[in-house]
Amino acid sequence: MQTQDEPRILIIDDEETLRAAVKRILENEGFIVQAAANGTEGISFALKSDFDLALIDLKMPDINGIEVLREIRRKKPYTICYIATAYASYDTAIEATKLGADGYILKPFSPEELVSQLRKGLERRKLLLETERLRKEREESLLEVAFERTRLKTIINSIRDGVIVVNREGESVYCNQAALKLLNISFLPIGIPIIEHFPSEIVSLVETNFLGKESQTNSFTIELNTNPDPDKFIEATISPVPQSDNKLAGIVIVLRNITEFKKLEMAKSQFVSMVAHELKAPIAATIGFLDILTKPEIKVDDAQRMDFLKRSHFRLDSLLLMINDLLDISRMEMNKEAKEIKEISFEDILADILLLLKIDIDKKKIQVTFKNSAKKTVIRADQNEIHRLLLNLLSNAVKYNKENGTISIGLSDDVTFIILRVEDTGIGMKPDEHKRLFAEFFRAKNDKTKNIHGTGLGLSIVKRIVDSYNGKIECVSKYGEGSTFTLYFPKINNYKG
Amino acid sequence: MARIAVIDDDTDILDASSLILKSRGFEVVTANNPDDGYRIVKETQPDLIILDVIMNEPDDGFVLAQKFRKEGVATPILMYTSISRALGIEFSKGIMAPVDEFVEKPISPDELVSKVEKLLAKAKEK
Repeated sequence: MQTQDEPRILIIDDEETLRAAVKRILENEGFIVQAAANGTEGISFALKSDFDLALIDLKMPDINGIEVLREIRRKKPYTICYIATAYASYDTAIEATKLGADGYILKPFSPEELVSQLRKGLERRKLLLETERLRKEREESLLEVAFERTRLKTIINSIRDGVIVVNREGESVYCNQAALKLLNISFLPIGIPIIEHFPSEIVSLVETNFLGKESQTNSFTIELNTNPDPDKFIEATISPVPQSDNKLAGIVIVLRNITEFKKLEMAKSQFVSMVAHELKAPIAATIGFLDILTKPEIKVDDAQRMDFLKRSHFRLDSLLLMINDLLDISRMEMNKEAKEIKEISFEDILADILLLLKIDIDKKKIQVTFKNSAKKTVIRADQNEIHRLLLNLLSNAVKYNKENGTISIGLSDDVTFIILRVEDTGIGMKPDEHKRLFAEFFRAKNDKTKNIHGTGLGLSIVKRIVDSYNGKIECVSKYGEGSTFTLYFPKINNYKG
Repeated sequence: MARIAVIDDDTDILDASSLILKSRGFEVVTANNPDDGYRIVKETQPDLIILDVIMNEPDDGFVLAQKFRKEGVATPILMYTSISRALGIEFSKGIMAPVDEFVEKPISPDELVSKVEKLLAKAKEK
């Protein structure tokens, strides 16, 4: 407000000589003085700028000093107003102060008296301004606190983790929406012991480690079994809330839904044990044969010996194929972003694969027909993956086909997809086999499949590749008659390369 | 000589096991799926049943063993296991599965024969 150091004084008095004299006295004191000759002028000066102090004559011809005082008070509450009066009486002085004057000066006055009175007024002005500044500051900080609280509340209510605050007596003090949802309760009354609503694991941990304790610096994390939903897993972290003197003020409990993580963990260990089982089976069979062949007390003839050796070889070949498939899957999982994307012709790769399978096709005397009605078969994809995808799909059509069977391949396209249809006259699938077609390690097990090499991973790899390009694959099959796979491969994808 | 039914979906294991047992003079009947296994046990009334845990389903062996017991088949059962270690399962006889003995794959001929003979001897005592 006041930027200059010198006090600024306004004198409002109709007596010219007095005005001049006061002005001179005060200027000698180093004050900045402005003088107004009547009430109207005084009000106008007072409002135009910011005076530290106004000395107002009580009796003026135009407006009464009290009126001037009132007007200045209303507009400029921090300008100190003194009333000067020659007709002084105790009553007028009281009246003036009642109306808001900060003091009065009786005429005539000595210069010393004037200056000393005004200095008192200026001190008061300083105090007033300081008080005002503090008040504003307090108001602002209160606003800030209020704002901060609302903001915190909004944040805590919008996070997905549950947050519960408990006091030292074990009573709930605060909890957010997520906490209610995770604990499966509709509302948590504030100020009741948590034992009534919380899972027993939390309650006993809180009771043992926090309640009745002067201090606790450790946090605890436990996993909860939530009923009635046994498939929901919650992790609770219970931490102390210390006071400024480090004593325990309360407890904050953070609940996190770790169901997805748990499911992933389980799927992973299931996969590992499935892999272990699948890898072990051919080894167990081979060792079984070798044990027989190396034990003199077990009699085998030459034909049997050769049969067991061939079967051992076959099982080890299968094992090798499976390990290679597993390595492929692991590579795909690890290098999800490392596709080598370029423009490739779906049709050309298809022709390559048919050439690659020619020996097997001829061996089984399979008739292959190929109809191509596609306008455009150029796609942006990883060549190796498309090669693998088509090889797995078509080699199945050969492997599981019968002698003198047929494979009809149809290639077409629409606006969004390249559509590949592979129809075989193979062994087909039973409905329950069909359901598990794309599952890892699933192979239809029967007399027809027992001499066919397979890892149970081929179609699972096909599905992984197709999914990674947002395509889809469908299968229609009839047991004993054959299967038809239809692949929809998107023409446009978001892969850059 | 005693008759033994071997039920395993791995035909190589089936053939190897049956050759080992036959070389010791046992009579062997085999099946490579739970349905045929159930049938041959009912039809041939073996003195001992050898069952693989995992066939088409990971618990086919357990299910079949339970079915036999429920129907009053008291024949001793020896179970082939392969990944109990991977699953972290310590098989305990009788509790986890109503079976009398376990043999972990790969099957050692000596272990198989000794366990088979022990089970048959125990059954004879009763």
